[in-house]
Amino acid sequence: METVESKVKDQLDVFALRDQFPVLERKVHDDKPLVYFDNAATAQRPLKVIEAMDDFYRRYNANVHRGVHQLSVEASEQFEGARESVRRLLNADSIREVVFTRGTTEAINLVAQAYLRPRLEEGDEILITHMEHHSNIVPWQMLCEQTGAVLKVAPINHKGELLVDELAAMINERTKLIGMVHVSNALGTINPVEEVCRIARQHDVPVLVDGAQATPHMAVDVQALGCDFYCISAHKMYGPTGIGALWARESILESMPPWQGGGEMINRVSFEGTTYNDLPHKFEAGTPNISGAIGFGKAVKFLEETGLEGIVWQEERLLDYATEKMQAVDGLTIIGTAEHKGPVVSFTLEGAHPNDIGTIVDHFGVAIRTGHHCAMPVMQFFDVPATARVSFAPYNLRNEIDIFIDALGKAREMLV
Amino acid sequence: MLDQLYQQVILDHNRSPHHYGSLAGATHSARGQDALCGDDILVELRLTDGRVEEAAFSGEACVITTASASMLMDWLVGRSRTEVETAYERFGQLLEDPERPDDSELGDINHLRAVSGFPARVRNALLPWRTVLRAFKERGIA
Repeated sequence: METVESKVKDQLDVFALRDQFPVLERKVHDDKPLVYFDNAATAQRPLKVIEAMDDFYRRYNANVHRGVHQLSVEASEQFEGARESVRRLLNADSIREVVFTRGTTEAINLVAQAYLRPRLEEGDEILITHMEHHSNIVPWQMLCEQTGAVLKVAPINHKGELLVDELAAMINERTKLIGMVHVSNALGTINPVEEVCRIARQHDVPVLVDGAQATPHMAVDVQALGCDFYCISAHKMYGPTGIGALWARESILESMPPWQGGGEMINRVSFEGTTYNDLPHKFEAGTPNISGAIGFGKAVKFLEETGLEGIVWQEERLLDYATEKMQAVDGLTIIGTAEHKGPVVSFTLEGAHPNDIGTIVDHFGVAIRTGHHCAMPVMQFFDVPATARVSFAPYNLRNEIDIFIDALGKAREMLV
Repeated sequence: MLDQLYQQVILDHNRSPHHYGSLAGATHSARGQDALCGDDILVELRLTDGRVEEAAFSGEACVITTASASMLMDWLVGRSRTEVETAYERFGQLLEDPERPDDSELGDINHLRAVSGFPARVRNALLPWRTVLRAFKERGIA
């Protein structure tokens, strides 16, 4: 293992990276070193993020955009600095296009209610794909109930790849929005977002991209992608939970009414009427998640400093190694075998329920996800009640995959 | 602890569950689903004079849910709804308190108490019980 991992240092110093994550030193179930393979559910946080949030509470906790005092000024600077970091992450034109939300889910709901709802008529169509996370299904279903619009679903193949031609054929004059996931959390599939956006533009249909699983693993350039909305969550990319962002082009955001009312989002309030604040504050009612935003900004800096090239390089090695080792396990079926994949391997093991696999490998220190991964239609498509899933981050090691494979062997011994 | 959870009795019930299949002449039934875990079972009961004459379950589930259902079906025969409700409460207490002595009334079901060391799996042990209790309420086969 020494020699294998030392080669990694040419590209990414994995051990130096691991040192930045205190939780990786943990032991679980008495004495087992933690092997954290549930990164797609939520990644771990580096010290830089933890310390930045701690520092805010210790030294300059204050509300933002409200006070003339020094602490408030400092807090506002850090908060808006984080917005600039997110702008850079997505290569957005302006910080006016970056709206802080509670996460991807809230960003999608914001677009559903503030952008699409006023534009929808009965019989209009919203087009999504079969591999969406529930967060990119349910807000649209709710909107359909409210407006009489219809939800259409573009099919996938048995490798878990989107059938782009079929999606294109489903677009018509009633299609008012396309919602698609950039990287599938359940299958790992990386979708051809740019291609879909190009097709959608020919029909003048806006595209919303659920980018929650994309930003930790790849450079995202919203201008190059050509999408209209891009939604992300900080906690999938080493930042805190409870914070994320919606990116949308300024002209679109300008055309949208506010979503929630309250403080911060107003310019002037009287009982006769209220004028709204400028972008992006128009969509940020109430005191925001300040420490979360600061942690989010630091997570972006963490990605920049670590370098996406090295991250991708390590993740691809982990994915290849895990795929090879797992394919050799008797009775194991990998669910999601797309050509372009993120570092996610969903699987089933004949004769063993995912729940039991999860419990047994956990006993050997390996944290994996089991269940429907908030993508029940994907489970229905592959005709499985649930899957087990390993998902990697660049701090994972190939010998951790060996530990997992051993633990999987123990699970087979016990269950099959 | 893992060996306790997946002890032989439980694995045997999982491999060859008792009362597995559909029940002719069922008077009560309910489906028990745990979407998060992927468990999906159907419980069918035939009641005569307020007592379970025969019970069966079917479906796909993890070891813990399957073993719990299998043991429960064995236990159910001859019981009334009130007896099941009382036993459900006692089973719940058994899973909450590892110090509590085995409950002789519950027989084989005591083998499941190791689940208390795996809080994420308690829901699986309880699913068959909850489904049976719902079956009592929602009579009739669809």
